[in-house]
Amino acid sequence: MKSADVIICGAGIIGCAAAYYTAKAGRSVIVIDADEIIGNGGSSRNGGGVRQSGRDVRELPLAMYGVQNMWPTLSQELGVDVEYHQDGNLRLGRNDRHKEILEGLTQKAAGAGLDVKMIDGDQVRAINPYLAEDVTCASWCPTDGHANPLKATMAFFMAARRLGAVFYSGEKVLGLKKERGVLRYVVTDHDTYSAEKVIVACGYESRQILQTVSIDVPMTKDLIECLVTEMEPKMFPQMLGTADADFYGHQTNHGSFVFGGESGYENQNLDFNCMTTHSITAPAICRGIMKWIPRLGNAKIVRTWSGYEDASADRVPVIGPIDEVPGLIAACGFTGHGFGISPVVGQILSQLACDEKPMLDISEFRYDRFKACV
Amino acid sequence: MKRYDLIIIGAGPSGLSAAIEAGKRGMSVIVFDENERPGGQLFKQIHKFFGSKEHKAKIRGFVIGQQLLDEAAKAGVEVRLSATVIGMYPQHEVVVKIGQGVEHFKGDAIIVATGAAENMVTFDGWTLPGVIGAGAAQTMMNLHGIRPGKRILMLGSGNVGLVVAFQLMQAGCQVEALVDAAPRVGGYGVHASKVARTGVPFYLSHTIKKAEGTDHVTGATIAQVDSHFQFIPGTEKHFDVDTICLAVGLSPMSQLLKMAGCQMDNSGKGGGQIPVVDESGATSVPGIYAVGDVAGIEEASSAMIEGRMAGIKAAEYLGFEAQESGDAEFEKNVQALDGLRQGMFAPQNRGKKIELTEEGIPVSENLLTHGFVADDEIGRFPGVTHRAGVHPVMECTQNIPCNPCQDACKNGCISIGKNITNLPFVVEGKKCIDCGMCVASCSGQAVFLVDEDTGGGHAQVTLPYEFLPLPKKGDMGKGLSRSGRPICDAKVVRVRTGKAFDHTALVTIEVPADMAMKARFFRADGEEDAR
Amino acid sequence: MRLDRSIDLGPCLPKEGDDQIICRCEEVTQGEIRQAVHAGMFTLAEVRRYLRCGMGLCQGQTCGKLVARIMAGEMKVPVSQIAPASSRSPMRPIAMQVWADEKEGGRPE
Repeated sequence: MKSADVIICGAGIIGCAAAYYTAKAGRSVIVIDADEIIGNGGSSRNGGGVRQSGRDVRELPLAMYGVQNMWPTLSQELGVDVEYHQDGNLRLGRNDRHKEILEGLTQKAAGAGLDVKMIDGDQVRAINPYLAEDVTCASWCPTDGHANPLKATMAFFMAARRLGAVFYSGEKVLGLKKERGVLRYVVTDHDTYSAEKVIVACGYESRQILQTVSIDVPMTKDLIECLVTEMEPKMFPQMLGTADADFYGHQTNHGSFVFGGESGYENQNLDFNCMTTHSITAPAICRGIMKWIPRLGNAKIVRTWSGYEDASADRVPVIGPIDEVPGLIAACGFTGHGFGISPVVGQILSQLACDEKPMLDISEFRYDRFKACV
Repeated sequence: MKRYDLIIIGAGPSGLSAAIEAGKRGMSVIVFDENERPGGQLFKQIHKFFGSKEHKAKIRGFVIGQQLLDEAAKAGVEVRLSATVIGMYPQHEVVVKIGQGVEHFKGDAIIVATGAAENMVTFDGWTLPGVIGAGAAQTMMNLHGIRPGKRILMLGSGNVGLVVAFQLMQAGCQVEALVDAAPRVGGYGVHASKVARTGVPFYLSHTIKKAEGTDHVTGATIAQVDSHFQFIPGTEKHFDVDTICLAVGLSPMSQLLKMAGCQMDNSGKGGGQIPVVDESGATSVPGIYAVGDVAGIEEASSAMIEGRMAGIKAAEYLGFEAQESGDAEFEKNVQALDGLRQGMFAPQNRGKKIELTEEGIPVSENLLTHGFVADDEIGRFPGVTHRAGVHPVMECTQNIPCNPCQDACKNGCISIGKNITNLPFVVEGKKCIDCGMCVASCSGQAVFLVDEDTGGGHAQVTLPYEFLPLPKKGDMGKGLSRSGRPICDAKVVRVRTGKAFDHTALVTIEVPADMAMKARFFRADGEEDAR
Repeated sequence: MRLDRSIDLGPCLPKEGDDQIICRCEEVTQGEIRQAVHAGMFTLAEVRRYLRCGMGLCQGQTCGKLVARIMAGEMKVPVSQIAPASSRSPMRPIAMQVWADEKEGGRPE
């Protein structure tokens, strides 16, 4: 039987980051993922935002820590340019209702210590002259930014591998097993492994793995879609979003624009468990983008894709040890906000796996916080 | 949403054939094609097709294309051109870019007939302008009337490489060499022979090392390769060419099927990623079919039959055709398809080295390694006999399913025998009247009329000629050997053209009697300078 | 298929042709692809995502097979073992304003 100090279920960016920091701390690590492809879930399918603004205040300390202490040096740390840009985030509005939404978000975040403020239409266009004339307001967080999720995921994977972390992809974790009251074994469709600590970071699939030791995290699996254009001349460096969240995205280093958006049927769309795209979604995203950035009407789209959000019941992740199952650590339910905080979460998971006190308070992310509402 | 009984994606040979069968059975059929013109590759095919009558043998590809379009129109099929299917979604939905917008359509059945794209190989300089696909060269010449270059090097000795090399010469380009890394010619020997006899050298077991030039191709270096396809030092050869054509295979454009969730096969047997299909082209998704090159690279004749089969089955599936009558019709097509998939080039023989013909005759080794049958080999084939007076000489040395020569001779001089893949032979006791129909009907340009003794130590050879300008009676020049080497003086004594010959001119040259079985092409004096 | 990423492919020694561009759309070279494989990327999807080969205008129609062949060579496995990339719409690049203009689709009234 193969064994390691730490076994990580899930080779997405959270699992790869955890593997990197854990291996760096001198522990032996095995990473197992059911998918043949490393980072084939949300890690390679998201919009690349490294945002603090617009987040639930419970997540803010993680996001702010990452932006202040980790993202600026991540390329150097991992030896790969992860294309991190800290050029701000504009969350746009064009009417009073939008303004109300944005003001609410801004007040909460500013109250939690984030440098974010409301600006008017002219100020918005002074920052980004390509935005439509009818944009009347926005929240502006100058320390937000974006990075390349494809590169960042692979960078963590390669760096962890260089430090000796062993990766098996295309191997499905069937369940976890305790021995004498503590978690000890990971059973897969190929083998059984033993470990001192097990981290489960498999997105929505974490739910069924955790269920094998009678832990359930309430979450759903929402199919959302993105698109990418061909290379365009450099236009603007900011991350963009809207009050209604009808589109979000940025221009990459390469010159292409990556945008996500919605048709409004994301929770009811047909889903064949194969991350299909839907015929009405891309046109809706296109109309959404053009409303805000009319100049992009001529940009050619070369690809669309979809991915699952592991949406937790309160739209904030579960991160931390599972007290009832000593040795088990969970990190799931990121609800589409995982990429921006992945280095921080990876670091925290490694600290937990090494029995160290995590560098930030993670009590808000406890697995057992979900209580009846009445 | 606009719904049709049948949506067909791709108006090439297989798509149109499917549309015709479905339309004839009363189905509402729409065919989308991203190109401005229909026909897929057919309108680029100016050569005559192989096969038998039922496969439209000896008809030129572009004529077949027009016939299919006419039939489709008669069957009530709607063909939408410049209509690009950008996606195939769940629930049989396709989204089509038409003009400056997109339209959504549903089909109770969908037949995907999107064809294939050209493969590339890499070498130093392969991204220079002037390195193009052979299919692209064909599009430039035969659809747009543009010569791709002046001096060409062709890489690839499969049928595409051979046919396009010939067409390049027809368009007035000079083909400097035909190169293939494989040790043997991959395409039909008759296609190779008609190229070789014009003087194009074949370099088998050679490949391109380098395309020279800074902003466009100004030359090419080839070198010999060993059995592991590694360059052998010191074997480099340089050619002054401005264009390098790559004819190194095709890959199915099967992305739509994969997107629609059809089960795919990546074993490589179909030339790339192909859908898993049954005999009728049905994929793993009910109601979705795949036919033609997208379901595995073959050629246009089989694609047309596959299209018909899927059209019939789609009609059955949706109740437009009774199962019994549909199955009977389907079975006829199965037979026709089997008829095509025979002989040395049948799919089951791919990659095999065949030593003997079906008749037990050793194949011409020179044909496989140099592109032409050597003088000392040609006599062993049944189409090559000596007799008094004018008589057909059929230099057909490989078993391929093809028989127009037999049908062409109204006097019964030519027979294929029992099996369509057999080599043609001259029937004893039948009188040749020098009508020339056999020469013009041979899709491989492998039939000649020879009179070995016309008196005065002369012989006459009538050969198929598809270049312009045509030689004129009285023109003096050289008789060229099968390898394209000048071997004797030759005089044009007769030039025949006619509707029945379908653009193949018959040029009769007078040569010394001992050259009767050696001279197989004519080059007028003064033309060698151009070469 | 199960892939063990700790398999040692040996050092990535320079090879003839490493400077050759394999993906024309995104200008990715043979050497970059070989290095990515040696760094543990054993699937075409990973190499594409990391290097962008096959992510340009032709979406890998031209280079997909070439990249797979190079990867298979480095991994010493049959090329059929390298799964092709997923297929996504649009099948051809399409301008945003064209795709936005739907007839009989999901467009709001």
